[in-house]
Amino acid sequence: MSPTLMANQNQGESAEYLNWLLLLLITFSLLSLSLLFKVASAVYIYKDPKMAAFLFSLDQFHSLEDMGTLKLIGAPQTQSSSSSSSSIDSNNHPSRTPPPPSSPSSRVCRNRTDLSTDLRLGLSISPSSQSESPFNPTPREESFDWPPIKSILRSTLVGKQSHMIQRPSLFVKVYMEGIPIGRKLNLLAHYSYDGLVKTLGHMFRTTILCPNSQPLNSGNFHVLTYEDREGDWMMVGDVPWEMFLNTVKRLKITRADRC
Amino acid sequence: MAYTFSFPEEVLEHVFSFIESEKDRSAISLVCKSWYEIERWCRRRVFVGNCYAVSPVMVIKRFPELRSIALKGKPHFADFNLVPEGWGGYVCPWIAAMACALPCLEEIRLKRMVITDESLELVAKSFKNFKVLVLTSCEGFTTDGLAAIAANCRNLKELDLQESEVEDLSGHWLSHFPDSYTSLVSLNISCLGNEVSLSALERLLGRCPNLQTLRLNRAVPLDRLPNLLSRCPQLVELGTGVYSTELRPEVFSNLEAAFSGCKQLKSLSGFWDVLPSYLPAVYPICSRLTSLNLSYATIQTYDLIKLISQCRNLLRLWVLDYIEDAGLYALAASCKDLRELRVFPSDPFGLDPNVALTEQGLVSVSEGCPKLQSVLYFCRQMSNAALYTIARNRPNLTRFRLCIIEPRTPDYITREPLDSGFGAIVEHCKDLQRLSLSGLLTDRVFEYIGTYGKKLEMLSVAFAGESDLGLHHVLSGCDNLRKLEIRDCPFGDKALLANAAKLETMRSLWMSSCSVSYGACKLLGQKMPRLNVEVIDERGPPDSRPISCPVEKLYIYRSIAGPRLDMPGFVWTMEDDSSLRLESSR
Repeated sequence: MSPTLMANQNQGESAEYLNWLLLLLITFSLLSLSLLFKVASAVYIYKDPKMAAFLFSLDQFHSLEDMGTLKLIGAPQTQSSSSSSSSIDSNNHPSRTPPPPSSPSSRVCRNRTDLSTDLRLGLSISPSSQSESPFNPTPREESFDWPPIKSILRSTLVGKQSHMIQRPSLFVKVYMEGIPIGRKLNLLAHYSYDGLVKTLGHMFRTTILCPNSQPLNSGNFHVLTYEDREGDWMMVGDVPWEMFLNTVKRLKITRADRC
Repeated sequence: MAYTFSFPEEVLEHVFSFIESEKDRSAISLVCKSWYEIERWCRRRVFVGNCYAVSPVMVIKRFPELRSIALKGKPHFADFNLVPEGWGGYVCPWIAAMACALPCLEEIRLKRMVITDESLELVAKSFKNFKVLVLTSCEGFTTDGLAAIAANCRNLKELDLQESEVEDLSGHWLSHFPDSYTSLVSLNISCLGNEVSLSALERLLGRCPNLQTLRLNRAVPLDRLPNLLSRCPQLVELGTGVYSTELRPEVFSNLEAAFSGCKQLKSLSGFWDVLPSYLPAVYPICSRLTSLNLSYATIQTYDLIKLISQCRNLLRLWVLDYIEDAGLYALAASCKDLRELRVFPSDPFGLDPNVALTEQGLVSVSEGCPKLQSVLYFCRQMSNAALYTIARNRPNLTRFRLCIIEPRTPDYITREPLDSGFGAIVEHCKDLQRLSLSGLLTDRVFEYIGTYGKKLEMLSVAFAGESDLGLHHVLSGCDNLRKLEIRDCPFGDKALLANAAKLETMRSLWMSSCSVSYGACKLLGQKMPRLNVEVIDERGPPDSRPISCPVEKLYIYRSIAGPRLDMPGFVWTMEDDSSLRLESSR
């Protein structure tokens, strides 16, 4: 090849090389200009560099259609309840004083994250138990805001747990024929005639018959009678239990052969 | 082609007077300017779902002939103590404005608002023909305010204080009803703490022949109830006081006779401290009952079954979970017309179940009651299989609220999330309007809700979801969504900002203990001028923390009245121009 041709080729090559460089430079400067423009406009519009920076970080998020394939950016976003504290008091008092910023609800959630910490530490807790309550042996703290029941119901229920034990009472006198000293018995402690008869049988050490049975030897047996509000003496067991409770004034155990 | 003639205004007005529904009225007013004008002059009733969405002046200016107004204040989660004290919902500016401009106002219905004695006095003095005052879950007033209403409202028909917090200073307010007052139709004082003057009450009942509803408070003793009932045998709805006393035969027989004497009685409530021996007194009227509220009645299964199995015509039952699965099975067998069931927890804080109530109870009711539409159910375990069954049995459900007491509880059989169960509910129940979720739930359940919940208007979510995708599904999929309330879910900024326009089509959005950052709130407030974005944070000004720090609670609602001016120190509105923001130390 002639030297002049080679020189021309070299010149051509270097010109091409220069062109590429120029193109690259232009592209780069355009990009940086647009970036600068974006920042400037953000700062200009929002007058707040902090906001501009935040917007920037937002722009980095892809469209939501891609979200399914995207890993979530930033762990703090998922563990919300343990980071933010809600201003709910753990006192179970339906008063309206502003509560201190502690959060039983997030405490509930914190139990779960504590469990996951335990898992990471290699403790032998099965992963499926993460959401099971038995791993939290202490009863759940009374949260001011969970479960979602209204204050009126909440205050009615609290303190109602032991109410079933303190039933009202209906004490009536019981006399056994031939014994001047009577006893007293709480009718409301029983729910049916069976219970009543059994208790009386123990109290007076005798067997009390039910109205329809036929005793073989009526000598040593007794029957139960009661005085109703009209003053009449009736055999116990004919009317429903509730109706009996409403009309009985006192009881008497009489000998079976008298009836 | 232009319409060359039109009806005279009076005719149009007469036609419009048959249109009651608010949606239809709004549609009428959009037809043309003249229809707008005619409609606004004859609108008698208005419902404002959020008292901060519009100003009183705007409402009065548009509808100068209003007779009835209904307002709602605090967000629904205020019922469960999630909204701090002093948040707002003051009705005072409304009453002040209406007292001047609407002298013919007859009805005021408020829900979750704060009303003072001064406002009550203003109501009593300003509206000569005042008839109806309903205060549901309200607060801020005392019995002195009630005395003013009693003394001055000669035409009062309805006084209903359902579940309000009233400072009960004395029971003598009832005596302020003058002797000439006879128009009472409905009286609900069940929330009052002290005993009202019973002799005054007896006289009042005796002279009001149109009385239909009487809900007494707990302090009214049972042995006085027969006497009260004998004065108003025409009663349709009754709430008893305390339902126990010393067991005396004459009390029982009087009670039974009094109940039997009320031939129109259809609805019963009250039943505090029930003594089961007195329950048979209501047996004679059970077959007529359509509504039974035993939410405060701590009666055991056996007694409940005996009572309920006699109420063949029951439409609505509210009961504690003492009813157990056995009781619900009996309910399903006896009450074939049942429309609404609510089962409340008797021991909400215990870890272990104290009663034998499981998902089976609800399944039996869904099988046995073909007209069941509305369910609120608290339980401790649930399975996807049960939810599928319920969904297939009852596609006519319109309200389904399930609360599994322990948050994030999975399907107890398969240990899986309850996504597919709830998915079945929204898929089969095509007319579902209201849904509350609970249990272990991932983003999938929101995908189902977004896909199938096309008629859904209100959704409550707690301790559910995994990422913003969940919230995005709901906001982009549920076309009719009006109210969304979320607590303790890992939803952040992305879904919220991507669906900002949706928020203007909804009444309100509540998010508490989620991951929405302060920056996103500010952005939303700046970009959406017709939304009020309120940050509730009791830790202090959000400016004092990094902009990416999540806010405690967020309440966004659409409004044409601009940001409100009565915010307490812990509420910040995100405004268009941050330089106009008022200082937090107001």
